Formats: sequence, C-alpha cells, structure tokens
Amino acid sequence: MGVDEKFNSIHEKPENRIEIDKQFLSAPVKKAVDKFQLVPEYLKARGLARQHLDSFNYFVGTEIKKIVEANNTIKSSQNENIWLKYTNVRIDEPSTVINAVTVPITPHNCRLSDLTYSAPIKVDVVYCNGTGYINQAKSNVTIGRMPIMLRSSHCVLYGKDEEELAKLGECPLDPGGYFIIKGTEKVILIQEQLSKNRIIIDTDKKGCVQASVTSSTEVTKTKTVIRMEKEKIYLYLNQFKGKVPIMVVMKAMGMESDQEVVQMVGRDPRYGALILPSIEECASKGVYTQREALEFLEKELTRLPYSSVHNQREGRTMSILRDIFIANVRVTQNNFRAKCIYVAVMLRRMMEAILNKDTMDDKDYVGNKRLEVSGQLLSLLFEDLFKTMNDEARKIIDITLSKQSRASRLDIIQFITRDSISMGLERTISTGNFDVKRFRMHRKGMTQLVGRLSYIQALGSMTKISPQFEKSRKVSGPRALQPSQWGMLCPCDTPEGESCGLVKNLALLTHVTTDQDEGPIISLCYCLGVEDLELLSGEELHMPNSFLVMLNGLILGKHLKPQRFANAMRKLRRAGKINNFVSIFVNEKQHCVYIASDGGRVCRPLVIADKGISRIKENHMRELKDGVRTFDSFLADGLIEYLDVNEENNALIALYEKDATHETTHIEIEPFTILGYCAGLIPYPHHNQSPRNTYQCAMGKQAMGHIAHNQLCRMDTLIYLLVYPQRPLLTTRTIELISYDKLGAGQNATVAVMSYSGYDIEDAIVMNKSSLDRGFGRCIVMKKTTAVCQKYENGASDRIVRPQREGWDANKMQILDDDGLAAPGEIIRPLDIYINKESPKVTKGTATNSSELKDSDYKNTRQSYKGSEGETGAVDRVALCSDRSGNMSIQFMIRQTRRPEVGDKFSSRHGQKGVCGTIVQQEDFPFSERGICPDLIMNPHGFPSRMTVGKMIELLGGKAGVSCGRFHYGSAFGEESGHADTVGSISETLVEHGFSYCGKDFIYSGITGMPLEAYVFMGPIYYQKLKHMVMDKMHARGNGPKVMMTRQPTEGRSRNGGLRVGEMERDCLIAYGASMLIYERLMKSSDPFEVQVCRKCGLLGYYSFKLKSGICSTCKSGANMSTMKLPYACKLLIQELQSMNIVPRLKLTEA
Amino acid sequence: MDSVASYQRFPSIKMREVKGDYCKFELRNTDASMANALRRVMIAEVPTIAIDLVEIEVNSSVLNDEFIAHRLGLIPLTSERAMSMRFSRDCDACDGDGQCEYCSVEYYLRVKCHGDQTLDVTSKDLLSSDPSVRPVDFADPSAGIDSTDTRGIIIVKLRRGQELRLRAIARKGIGKDHAKWSPAATVTFMYEPEIYINDALMDTLTPAEKRSLVESSPTKVFEYDETTQQVLVVDPEAYTYDEEVIKKAEAMGKPGVIEIHAKEDSFIFTVESTGAIKASQLVLNAIDVLKQKLDAVRLSEDTVEADDQFGELGAHMRGG
Repeated sequence: MGVDEKFNSIHEKPENRIEIDKQFLSAPVKKAVDKFQLVPEYLKARGLARQHLDSFNYFVGTEIKKIVEANNTIKSSQNENIWLKYTNVRIDEPSTVINAVTVPITPHNCRLSDLTYSAPIKVDVVYCNGTGYINQAKSNVTIGRMPIMLRSSHCVLYGKDEEELAKLGECPLDPGGYFIIKGTEKVILIQEQLSKNRIIIDTDKKGCVQASVTSSTEVTKTKTVIRMEKEKIYLYLNQFKGKVPIMVVMKAMGMESDQEVVQMVGRDPRYGALILPSIEECASKGVYTQREALEFLEKELTRLPYSSVHNQREGRTMSILRDIFIANVRVTQNNFRAKCIYVAVMLRRMMEAILNKDTMDDKDYVGNKRLEVSGQLLSLLFEDLFKTMNDEARKIIDITLSKQSRASRLDIIQFITRDSISMGLERTISTGNFDVKRFRMHRKGMTQLVGRLSYIQALGSMTKISPQFEKSRKVSGPRALQPSQWGMLCPCDTPEGESCGLVKNLALLTHVTTDQDEGPIISLCYCLGVEDLELLSGEELHMPNSFLVMLNGLILGKHLKPQRFANAMRKLRRAGKINNFVSIFVNEKQHCVYIASDGGRVCRPLVIADKGISRIKENHMRELKDGVRTFDSFLADGLIEYLDVNEENNALIALYEKDATHETTHIEIEPFTILGYCAGLIPYPHHNQSPRNTYQCAMGKQAMGHIAHNQLCRMDTLIYLLVYPQRPLLTTRTIELISYDKLGAGQNATVAVMSYSGYDIEDAIVMNKSSLDRGFGRCIVMKKTTAVCQKYENGASDRIVRPQREGWDANKMQILDDDGLAAPGEIIRPLDIYINKESPKVTKGTATNSSELKDSDYKNTRQSYKGSEGETGAVDRVALCSDRSGNMSIQFMIRQTRRPEVGDKFSSRHGQKGVCGTIVQQEDFPFSERGICPDLIMNPHGFPSRMTVGKMIELLGGKAGVSCGRFHYGSAFGEESGHADTVGSISETLVEHGFSYCGKDFIYSGITGMPLEAYVFMGPIYYQKLKHMVMDKMHARGNGPKVMMTRQPTEGRSRNGGLRVGEMERDCLIAYGASMLIYERLMKSSDPFEVQVCRKCGLLGYYSFKLKSGICSTCKSGANMSTMKLPYACKLLIQELQSMNIVPRLKLTEA
Repeated sequence: MDSVASYQRFPSIKMREVKGDYCKFELRNTDASMANALRRVMIAEVPTIAIDLVEIEVNSSVLNDEFIAHRLGLIPLTSERAMSMRFSRDCDACDGDGQCEYCSVEYYLRVKCHGDQTLDVTSKDLLSSDPSVRPVDFADPSAGIDSTDTRGIIIVKLRRGQELRLRAIARKGIGKDHAKWSPAATVTFMYEPEIYINDALMDTLTPAEKRSLVESSPTKVFEYDETTQQVLVVDPEAYTYDEEVIKKAEAMGKPGVIEIHAKEDSFIFTVESTGAIKASQLVLNAIDVLKQKLDAVRLSEDTVEADDQFGELGAHMRGG
C-alpha cells in the first residue's frame, strides 16, 4: 500500500500548497522525499564494476605517467653520453599483431581465439647513442603491451551503446572490470590490507604495547615498530640486528636534548614517568651526542650479504634513518625534525594506550583498512617491470660497452622494446602470482577466473574482497561482522567454511577511492590556518587545546580550532573546490584532524542534512526524473557527499528523514543499499534468519539461467543454461538495478507446502511430471572439447582426413562431415568420433615436406566423445582458429538438454536447498477447486528450524502478484519506504481476488479426490536450479581399470574408479565380525596376488614354469616353498622395504 | 452418507455451460472415487495428437534443435480424429515413421526470413498432411486480422537470413506419457456446498454485524439486502470452503448462524481444454476411455489367469 499512498499524496500536494502556501514554505516539513531514484542514477553513471574501472582508468591515465616520469632516464655508468630519456607515455588502442601487421581487436574475438586483450604501451623518447653527441628523438616506441580492462577508458567498448555492443558481440549487461588473458577472463580480486603510512597502536603476542607504521613510498616499503618492553621503549627495524633503544635513535636524528624529547611527547608527568626508563637506559649506554648515537647504531646494523653502494661519508646508519626508518616522512637536507616529531607522536600515542587501553587501535576496523583494486596492483607490477627493464637495459649497455671490440653500433632503443613487460603482465594476471621483488611482495591467488556459471557469479567476482590474513588463523576478530562495515561491505555475502568472514563483498553503493594529489590540499590547509610544523617548538606541539593536522599519515601542523577548520574544509569539498573523496575526520580522542586523500579507502554517498533537514527536496528529485539532473550534479550542488568510514564517525546519520533530529548531519539514501549484489536478490531478507541469507548468497552463484546476452556465442569450457528462465514474480529494487530481471536464473514455481508421498523428507521436493514435460527446470549443458592440428619440428603436421563411409569404423564416423569434422546439429553418442585426425609417424629429425608423405606415414589420432552410456549430446558449434603457436585449433561445443530427474538440486532464494525426491504424475498431484495444481511440493518441516519467514512472504506476494498482475517488491527493509509490499497489503490483494488472506488454499487429493484435512499454503516461489545434477555425479562400477603400480582399482568417477571401503567402513565390518566380507572387499575384489614364500628364509621367491615349482632366489632352492595369497600392495611394500635395506620375513605356520 | 448402503449408483450428468474449450457440468449421485476417476482420465488418458518426432533439415535460428522440437511438441493439434487413430506402437501398417495414415500425421515447416524485420514463425506456418489435424487456432473471429491471437503460437523468431526447415511427425498419445498429449488445461471439481442460514439466530445480529459477516467471505457467496436486512445466499458455488464465515460467526459469539456442508454425492466440474478437442467432447471421450478400461477389467473375467491374479477380488468384481 505504501506505493499507492505515495502516489496519492503526490497528487494531493499541489492543492495543499495553494491552501497553506505560507506555512508550507516556512515550516521545515518533515515529508520524506523518495531518494531511491538516486541509486539507479548512481549505478547508471558508474557501472556495476566501478571500483575496478575507476582504478584502472586512473592507472592508465595518470599513474603510469607518474611512474615513467619518476624513472625516466637510463644512463650508462660507463659512458655519460649514452643515455635515454622517456618524455611521454600513453596506451594505444587494443590491438594484436598478426604476421607483423597490427590489427585492432575486440574483446569477444580474444575470448574466442585465445588471445590477450591488450594494447601497446607507447613512449616518446629522447636518446643519445654517444656517437657525436647528437640527441635523437623518437616517438611511438612500443615498450610492451598492457592488458586492457574491459569497459575501461581504453577499451573499445567504452561509451558504446547497446546496439554497438551487440555488433561487437558483447553483452550490454556485462559489468566489465576484468581482463582477457589468453582467452580466459581474469579478474584481479580486490585485496584488503591494513592502511599504509598510518600509526597503528596494538599489542604484540606477549601483550607489549607497540606502535607500528608500514611505510610505503614510490621507492620502498618498510615496516617500523616501536615497542615497549619491560618499561623501556625500543625500535624494531629489520636493518638492525635486534631492538634498538628509541632514545638512541632520537639522538642519532639530532635530538640531543632529553628535555626536548619529553616536551615533544607531552609534558604530562605520567608520560614523563613512562619515558624515564628509556632515557636512563640511553644514558647508561653512554650515548649523549648525535655522533655517539650514530656510532652506537652502526654496531647494531645487520651485516650486508654483499657490499652495496652507499654513501661512505655519512655512514650507513644515517641513510637508513633517512630512507628506511618511517620512510613516508621525507627528510630534506638532513633535516630530521619532522621525523623526530613523528616518532614523538608515535610515542605519545603508545603511552596514551598504556595509560588507557581504550585508545588502542582496532585492526579490524574498516577505517584502518585499504582496499587495493586492480589499478593499484597493476601499477605496482608495471613499476617493477618497468624498472627491471630499465636496469637490464643499463646492464646490457654497460656490458656491451666494456667489451673491447664491438661489431655493430650500439642502438639503445632495441633494449627497451623487448617483451619483458608484456610477458610479465600477462603471466602475473594469468597465474595470479604477484612476485614483486622490489616491494617484497609474493602473493598467490590474486586473480581469479570470472565465474560464468551465472550472471550473478560474474557480478560477484567483481565485488569479492580477498583477505590479507592467512586463513588458518584461529582468531575470531577478523571474521566477525564489524559495525564499521555498515553500508560499505555486505553483511550477508561471505562464504561458509574456512574463509568465512575473511572474504567479503562490497555493498551496492560502495566506492573505492583512487589516489589524489596531496599538493593542493596541503597548501589549502595552510591557508585555512594550520600552523606549520617547522615553526613549532616541541612544547607547542601538544598544547591542550590544539589539534594536530595529519594528511595521509603525515603531520602537517596544528590547528587551534579543529571543528572550524574541518567545517571549512568540508564546505570547500561540497563546493567542489577539493576532490569529493577527500575525507576530513576530527578525532577528539587523539586530538587530531585526519585528512585523507589516499587510494583504497571505502566510502559511500549520503544525503547531506542541515540540522536534520535533508538538502534534497522534492524538486530535486523531480528534476532528476525529468533528466535535468544527474548524480554528479547532486554532488556538485552539495546535496550529496561521499563519506569514508572515518568521517562517518563525525557524522550523525539518520536512516530515514523522519528519524532525523537537530543533530543529524546526514541521511541514508536507501537502507537496502547496505547489501551487496548477491544478497540483493533475496526478497524480504530482513525477515529471514541471517545465515539463510548467507547461504543464498553462495547458492545464487550456482543457479542456472541466462549468463549473458551473448551466451550462445561464447566458447567457454562449460556453460549451464536454463531453457526457459523467468523473471522473479517477487522482485527487489536491487534485482532491477543489476538487471537480474533480464538475465534471470530460475523459474516461478507454484509451491504447495505440504507433505506428500514420503519422498519429501530431509528437504527433498516432489515435482510434477507435467510441469517438467512443459519445460520446468529444463537446462542446457554445453561442454567444449578442443583438438589441435599440431605442426612438428620436421615440418610435418597433423591432418584431418575424409571419414570412411563404409567398413569397420564407419558407424563411429557417422556424424562426421566430408571435411573430417563433426557437423553441427548432429547427435553425438559416446565413442563417436568427432574429428578424424591423423598424425605423422615421424615428427623429429630432418625436414620433410608434408606433401611428400604417404598415407602410410600417418597414424590415426582420432578423437572420440567420452561420456558414459546415455550421455548423448548434440554438436552445437564447431569453431576453427589458430592458437598462440600458430597451430590450427578446432573447438567443438557439445550440447546436452536435460530435464530434471530425481536427485537434481533445486533451491529457493532463501538458502533452502533440496533435491528432487520423486516425480509424480499430474493427476496424482493435489489440486484446488480453481484447478490450480502445484509444480512442486515442499515439506513444511523446512520452515520451523530455518525460520525463513521471507520465503513465506515471497509466496504470499507472488500469489498476490499473479492474481493482480503487478510485480510485487520485497526489497530489504523496504516496507518503510515503499520498496517492499507489506503482508497487510498483500493479504488485502489476495482477499480481493478470492483467496484466503493467509495464502492457504482448500485442496483435494489427486489420488482419492477427497478434500485434504488441512488448508495448504500454496503459491508461487522463485526456484533456482543449481548446477549439481545427478547425471554428472552418478557413478558405480563392477570390473574396471586398475592402477598399474598397486593393481588396486582406480579412484574417482572420471577414471571409472571403484568405491573405497575406507578405514571407518572397515571398522564397522570388524565390529560386526564380518571377516569374510572384509577379506572379499579388501583382497579378493581389490588386488589378489599369489606369491611363493620360502619357509626357510621367509623371503619371496618366484614360480619357475620350467621346474613347475616355486624357487627361492635367496636360498637358491625350491625345497621349502609355499604358495600363498597376498594383496599385491603388500607384496609391493615388502619389496619396497627390501629396496631400502629392511628385510621383512614372513613366518608361515599351518592354519 | 449413511443413507446409501449399497454401492449401486446411477450417476447423472447435467451440463451447465458449454463453450468450445470450456464447459461446466454437475455430476450427481456418485461419490468422490467416480468423480476423481473421471478427472484423472480427462487429464491423463484421453488421447490426442501431438508432434512427437522432428527431423530438422536446416536450423539457423537462435534456438537449438531440441528447443524447437520441444516447442513443436507442446503445440496443441486438433485431435477429433485421435480416438479413432491407432497408437503407432500398435500400428500394423507401419513402424511409426510417419508413412502411415492410420497412426501419424506429417508436418512440414519451411520458413526463411528475408526482410529486416524479425519474422515470427508460428504454428500457422506448419503445413499439415491431414487437414483435419492442424494446429489449434485460437483466433477470436470477432477480433481483427492483426490481433495477436490470429498469428498462432510462436515457435521461434527469425532475423534476416535465418532459416528453419523441418519435417515433423505427429502421433497419437496420452497425457500419462507426456503432458503434450493431455487435452486438458484445467480439470477440477468441487463438492457442491450446502449452505444453511439459521434465520432465528441471524435475526439476533445487528445490521452492521450482518454486513461484516457477509464481507468476511473472500468470495461473494452472501449478500446483504439493505432493504429487507437479510443475509442471502447468492452464489453457493463461489464458496471455497475457507470457513471464514464460520470463523467470523464464532468470533461474533454466534456459532451456528451459518452452517455449510459439502454434499458428498454431487460435484461441480470445470473443464478447460487446450483446444485439441472440444471440452464437451473431452468429457465424452473420458467416459469412453473409462468404459474401455472397465471393459478391460471385465474381459479378464473370462480368463482363468484373472482368477488367480485377483482371487477373491475377482469374484467380488463379478458381483459375487
């Protein structure tokens, strides 16, 4: 009813306005404005994989230029006049090189023909080869190829409309955000990390308080830890052998006066008391001056494995303190003051934490985390590869120069046009192993195949966040749901099992920031009254009423009126003077103002409210509807802003306008946006028990349906499709936003909640045979098989020959066309040959002309369709393309259409999975007097313990939906804002159409024709068919293949293996006393073997067929031989033991 | 029904409404087993003709062969001939490959799209070898030519250059084997309700109470006459046995003001056919099939094996 009310009220509005015009204008009317329209607008403008696209665009647009500029010269150390300088870099259009010709490519082409979708990285260079000192310039030099993210600014799909996309063979609903490497779609997972360059206060394993900073600059990445141990404070840095007293380090940085250190930390006597032991220790070591300190530290250094080039004049300690110790604080002209203050602040926060445990930082707090998105990771990788290439170029130049006689003239260009960058990028993305030695980064599993089982799975892999921690840790902290995740990360979507709570997913409106330039922000801060750090004495630093101002972890200075400063900054941000994504956060506890402009912060849009009154008014939303406004104009006009997790702490956010009070600063756009894509499919999730929603998030990805609009043009190894997918009768707003209603994965089944036939226990469902006949749950499975026409080193190559039409093999070749390949549309049965290929017998040695080879020089290498009995399919498509090594590769898509059978898995959208228990004729199914007969029957026992009330409401809403012809909504928390129909209004609709308000029907038994004793809850529920099907799992064997070594049956269905009687099964049989059964299973049916045993020496002999008796090869006689039966594995063990000088002897006695 | 001691019944049918593919009738003087048998036979055992074998020559449409074959199978074909046709498995004249007119009907479909518009291939494009067995025409004669109904059932849509050429063989079959052979879209029955209003008790209610009592039923069974201030039964068959009225009466503290019973020996059937045969014909055919089935049981009376098989039951069936 909510919608109707709104509809009416909008129409009533103008009349009211005329009547009480003055009052209407003057009074702050608390009339909720429907802000929902902002969400589709936001998603339309930004796309579904915006995090990836934004970061990649930033990388190829800005970051790559910075990287090249930072490392722009290669200069020979031998000859000053040989150098090269990069002046510009850009990424070209995606293309590939075929026979030395550059051809533009489209993503779909790459998918089909196993290519990499990449674009050349072009640079402009100025260089000098040393000859005659002439500077030469050259532009458009290709130094490598950059894989291009689909739908990014450099992709051919960028900005294309639906029709153009269709022409390129692309699905308009595909989110992009992934790469195509060698034909496979790979997405770089979002990586969750602790923020860089921030002071984190926590305790180590022993409970000592420590302050740690992970510094990250363009040059290095280091970790600095300051820890309090036995009341003394030490520095841990891996350049030093062990711990180093912090006061010594301070002295080494020129802080010779202890008084100043104490002043900098703060004059509170409690701090003084805490720092005193450290000062005393320093004095006891006899370190008073900077020189003494440096000398002391020099001794503590770790030995370098090899002597590196460092400045001998000032000593290694100095350079370590400057470049490695808290590397993010820059030291210019050996002015260590900023670094000293930074250390002092670290000490101060540590002491605060010692005095008051509450000030400890929470590592799991989302504000202390950064998400590394593909752009950032790629830039890291590119930087490393670029530097490596330059270093190598330099090395080669030096080596060539050092050689006495040089034949050819040195051309510096040739050293930068190698494919080390392309190879590196391609290999890293395709394997997922990031190995960046420069930053000591060795991570595995960073990329993942884009799951194409369903559209939702593809979307899900774009928002997946993989954790930094190893999964084995038994702590519950990182796995728990953090309150700070609200609105940023989906509370439902996480896997079950070992990575539960560690792998997360982004919420609907989350944005991940990219790096912003700090320069303008710094100058702006100083303009707004931040007192420069350089001009402050230690004493002034921590005045009681002053707040430190930190920008991205760096101390800029202090400000006396932090709130005013923050307000001014925010005003400027809302006015668009500084970037939207800069966050300003006043931390009252720490007396700090944190300004952040770094990349990887999660933030989300919120409506700004002034004293509890939303800035967005009806007219704004109307303008949006009329297309006059866009989401960006809302941002530009300061109606909406992005808040990151830290800044949210300074805001009071009301869920709805009506809840806003005077102190409210922001209002949520829509509450359902706290869920992600997968959880957004669930209708009424707020009525379900929470784990059910989590289960559905995992199952939605396994549901079959339409995977993309180009699904029939794709050549994936495995495609599952539904024959007649439907749009859910009970939708949510998220479903519409992510177009699940266009690429559905399920069908609306009329479900009767009742017990029937007993084949419905333990979550099994009973299905109506007529429904299956008419296409319910029918699915298409397509599998790809590939054959390669190999070329060999001697010039010979495989050939495909005409099939035999008569003779021995002819019946197996029936489906072949005259070209030797299976014809599309033919029905293929197991053992049918689908490619009549022949390979040359001789593939090595001297070159031969393939035309000279006779038919007898070839042997059959036909390939036949494997699959168990009854697994017939049809050849769907045959595609020919050349693979990377120039061989012809032939791909066959083999299609099977399957109707549901007993044992196939189905699930509703509420984590209620079940297998088909039995299939029943329609006439046996119960029916109502209206003639409604359910498609499936679900057992009511599924409800009490699962508490999936949402499913019940879905049934009601679906029933009302089919009766009145309107799709009903069930968005999360949507009753309040009219995005979900209430049970009340649904019941009214039901009664209007002659149903009972509670959704129950009067039902007759189909078998007897008698009415059933109880009313049955019946109506449509959206059911998903999951990919687990009996046909793919069913397995049994009698005799079959055996493993060569042990002579035991093979393992696994794919090898037609046996079913193992395992340890526990064996225990049962022993306990039961079924000794002969154990003998039969473990020996007779497995690996029986007859051996000759020598009674004298107890070793195994052999049977001599000449002498017709056993012979012991150790005793050299056949006198004392016995024949006995052993499992072959036992004989193997005896022999293996013998091979390692252990002699097992068998002692035989008469049984 | 205590009055009926003997199982001997003389069921009677009274047709109420016959409208092509829809009919409504009363079945009286029998019990649920009879009614249900009739219903089950109508759904599952009345034979019709449906496409069963498809031989595809060319298919360059977006839908794959099985998909199209499945869709073709589900098209209802006019099956007046079905009762007299042979099942192809019982056919002596052929082996069911469509060469024989006794058991199969051949269809051809040859469509190619030449224009820029998408071409809808519909059931109208199927060319039948037997004019009496053709795809069901849902066209409403009153509607115009370009109404959607007149275009038949869409099989597939073709774009320029796409082509579909196939031969299909329709056979006789029953709904038990596959739902495509089921002539019934909806077959359902209900017990005829007997509504008794206790007038004396009703008079104790206020007009408002009466009105709310009338409105408590989700279907329009009762009516409140404003002038006479009486509750009237307008449509007893609209009652869905939801007991809402009775519950309401109990809630008002007047249980028994309305009493509703199901008459256990009379049923109201609603039959909708797929169009393959007329709904009225469906009922008649169902009775025929039912009779044949009973005949089959009676036939076994003569055989000795039947006695062994059924034992006492056999004797009982013979009326002994």
